[in-house]
Amino acid sequence: MSVKVGQKAPDFEANAFYEGGFKKVKLSDYKDKWVVICFYPGDFTFV
Amino acid sequence: MASVAARYEELKELGVEVLSCSVDSQFTHKIWQEVELSKMVDGGVPFPMLSDTGGKVGSLYGVYDEEEGVNLRGRFLIDPDGVIQAMEVLTPPVGRNFSELVRQVQAFQHVRKTGEPTPAGWQPGKKTLKPGPELVGRVWETWKIGD
Repeated sequence: MSVKVGQKAPDFEANAFYEGGFKKVKLSDYKDKWVVICFYPGDFTFV
Repeated sequence: MASVAARYEELKELGVEVLSCSVDSQFTHKIWQEVELSKMVDGGVPFPMLSDTGGKVGSLYGVYDEEEGVNLRGRFLIDPDGVIQAMEVLTPPVGRNFSELVRQVQAFQHVRKTGEPTPAGWQPGKKTLKPGPELVGRVWETWKIGD
């Protein structure tokens, strides 16, 4: 693991689909908020 | 993702923003939303679905599986200071438990507000502990498993 609890979450920027459109999302856009990031293997999978 | 989307309101009430992330493109996310997710959850997935082609973000968080070329099921809870408070990583065949995520959010928010640590299995309204020298060896007097 390259990250640890109690340490800063690494910032990133990614393309996203949101509210019907495409936008760029940066983790730092969510400063001062609680955030949950959920990684998953792929679309169209349902576990 | 549908299971998180279905109970997104609970997280929203707790002031939690959700970002989902896979190696699929944003275009694939759009199609998935349109042909499937929107039929499973009213209105579809209400949070940004991030595209992590190449696994750059997953690699940063240690969840990118280079052999399979996908991100593992990693969940990270980040506080308003940008600090990771909780993380859980599962291999692909087992899904996550949404209720435990909500419980963890409530516990971390309680700790942040009050400074009181929450014992195992804590739920809102349950007993917390006041750490100090006088508690050492005497937790059994104030807290029992199941409290």
